[in-house]
Amino acid sequence: MCPLNFGYSVSEVKVIDLNQEKPVWLKKIFKLEPSLYRCISCGNCAAICTAGHFTEMKFYRLCLNAFRGQTSELKNNAKACILCGKCQFACPRGVNIRHAIMLITQIQQP
Amino acid sequence: MMHPFTIPFVVGFTMMFIVLIIRYSNWFRGFSIENRKRIANHMFSRKTIQALNEIFKESLLHLKIYKTNPILGYMHMSFAFGWFLLIVGGKLETWYYTGNFVNPPQYAIFFRFFHPVTEATTIHRIFDFYMEFSLLIVLSGLAIAMVKRIRKRVTGIKNTTHHTRANRFALTVLWFIFPLRLLAESATTSIHGGGSYLTKITSTLPFHTTVELPLWWAYSISLGMFFLCLPFSRYLHIPTEMITILLKKWGVKPELKLTTNKGLQAFEIHSCSGCGICLDACPAIGVGNNKFQSVYFINEMRNGKDHYKTTGLCLSCGSCQQSCPVGIKLEPLRIAARENLNSTMQFIHTYLPSKMILWPETTNVILYTGCMGRMNPRTTKSIKKLLAEANIEYIHVDEDENICCGRPMALAGAKEQAEIMISRNRDIIHSYNGKVLVTTCPICFKQFKNSYNLNLPVMHHSMYINQLMEKGKLKRHQSELNFSYHDPCELGRAFNCYDAPREVLKHAGNVIQLSMEKEKSLCCGNNMGTILLKREDRQQITDKTLTVLSKNNPDYIVTSCPVCKNTLSQQSSIPVKDIAEVLTELPGIKQKKEPSASPLPQGKAD
Ligand code: SF4
Ligand code: SF4
Ligand code: SF4
Ligand code: SF4
Repeated sequence: MCPLNFGYSVSEVKVIDLNQEKPVWLKKIFKLEPSLYRCISCGNCAAICTAGHFTEMKFYRLCLNAFRGQTSELKNNAKACILCGKCQFACPRGVNIRHAIMLITQIQQP
Repeated sequence: MMHPFTIPFVVGFTMMFIVLIIRYSNWFRGFSIENRKRIANHMFSRKTIQALNEIFKESLLHLKIYKTNPILGYMHMSFAFGWFLLIVGGKLETWYYTGNFVNPPQYAIFFRFFHPVTEATTIHRIFDFYMEFSLLIVLSGLAIAMVKRIRKRVTGIKNTTHHTRANRFALTVLWFIFPLRLLAESATTSIHGGGSYLTKITSTLPFHTTVELPLWWAYSISLGMFFLCLPFSRYLHIPTEMITILLKKWGVKPELKLTTNKGLQAFEIHSCSGCGICLDACPAIGVGNNKFQSVYFINEMRNGKDHYKTTGLCLSCGSCQQSCPVGIKLEPLRIAARENLNSTMQFIHTYLPSKMILWPETTNVILYTGCMGRMNPRTTKSIKKLLAEANIEYIHVDEDENICCGRPMALAGAKEQAEIMISRNRDIIHSYNGKVLVTTCPICFKQFKNSYNLNLPVMHHSMYINQLMEKGKLKRHQSELNFSYHDPCELGRAFNCYDAPREVLKHAGNVIQLSMEKEKSLCCGNNMGTILLKREDRQQITDKTLTVLSKNNPDYIVTSCPVCKNTLSQQSSIPVKDIAEVLTELPGIKQKKEPSASPLPQGKAD
């Protein structure tokens, strides 16, 4: 028997799964740069970003995706950063964005 | 002459030489071909004499430490120079006594034991006097060293270094050497007679004949132990420092890749005396729980320990390098260490726009405001106003979009990656026919100067404004306003540019003298050099800096770096301005309007 059809369904990719365990390498990044936990996804960092001006790179998205465990594009996006540091001046939460990006570009994703 | 009690000394001394030769030849093997050529070319030139002069001044007299802290300087001087006097004196004494120039070292060192009563000629008396005087110098230094360990405040230093076990052992042995020498000589004098003024006094102590030889044994053992420890402790810096001075004078350059036991870097790392002067110089000392100052960093490098934190926390403010009496190039060392640590970082910057130009536009000034300029549109507006006022043609090359100068990337340890930004920016700058490149950011300025190889001169805007004022192209009314000027690290310490901005400010008001300024100025706390320092810690540094700047209630705190300006203004109750803004925005210093002044050109003057 097919289940009741409500005429809509929940898309798998949009589910936020808070139970999901972070992969080990991601945990390590959060451990080395705990200020990442402070990010509130305000978007200031992306508004001012040179890399974001030319590419898809948006740090707040990186951060958000990392929290949600959507990590496939993490490293590739981070590679566009030029470490200029403007984002850190704009960040209201004092996230060490440059260090976080340096760590992300160094991860050996399985 | 070869009494068995001299054996510990002879063994220790010989071992030291063997170990030193092995270690040094390893480091020497790391020299690149170019460096070897440099050594060969300069070895027999005037450079060597200059180096010897410097060795005398710095390794023996320690003049630089003396200038920073006279008591500490005296302590180092009395040890090194006093010991040197003893060695020279011993040499001369044995030469005079035996008629041979070449004598084994132990003969000179234990001379008093072999010849307690030298014949009472005037020359002998002079020798005795001289030797005891030298010993007294060393002992006085020792007294200060002991007091320093016990009560560091007495010597006027706030922070002393904490040592590893090997170092502490060597230190303890060192402390014993000279008092033992005095005791042994006194015992001999008291039993056999002779001596000069110092032992005349000390030999009145009731020495029994049986203590003489054990005292000499103890003296010999302590010397031997010290020499045995020397190549493995921080005292390795004594011979290494001298060789480093020679190498630097011969023009030897650091090897491209940092290895702690190769090339010039090995010599530099091992010539740190652990004096701790870099601790007091660091703006981050006492902030948070961070022990990353250069002495710790160098120690970790020496001992092959993990140095991720000590390299990454540092702000690259240059203060420790400025004050290091040994002249170790600490900033390049740190950046080279970061290059090793972050070598797996990957970036892709092919997206950065490049510029193709067929007909270069001609202009006077090429204005570059950099990333931080984008966050300080006011400064940019002000400098443009000033250029227009002085009737200078300019083109603002990064008005619409900007590529970072590459220094933050290089500071993070990705020198090669920075090259992409450098070449793109260079193309953009070279695509104009400008007379001078003016930048409002000291970070960019440093990068342009040191890494760009541009075909035109580069000036920081404070220098350029000063030049305009000197030429009379910009005039200001001197007001009653008081300014505190904050020296940005990358402009002040990096380029000794202290006067230009102050001269500019003097045209507009009074510049207040500060307790910490010019080469001693504190970092604003947000230098791009740091990678790991937490925001809270950075804010504390900013607070400390602001305390200095706010003294005497200035009307404005002025700086000439967008990073410093942003950082300071976040936490300051006194308004913070860029030097260009001072000239354009403040009401009290309204420009003197010349009656014949033509209407000012707006924007891109052409
Ligand atoms: S500016 Fe800071 S808090 Fe805001 S999204 Fe970026 S990292 Fe997060
Ligand atoms: S440091 Fe990277 S993420 Fe931050 S503004 Fe610059 S390019 Fe963007
Ligand atoms: S780095 Fe320089 S200032 Fe610091 S302890 Fe070593 S010699 Fe002294
Ligand atoms: S460069 Fe500045 S912040 Fe870094 S250790 Fe030296 S004094 Fe401290």
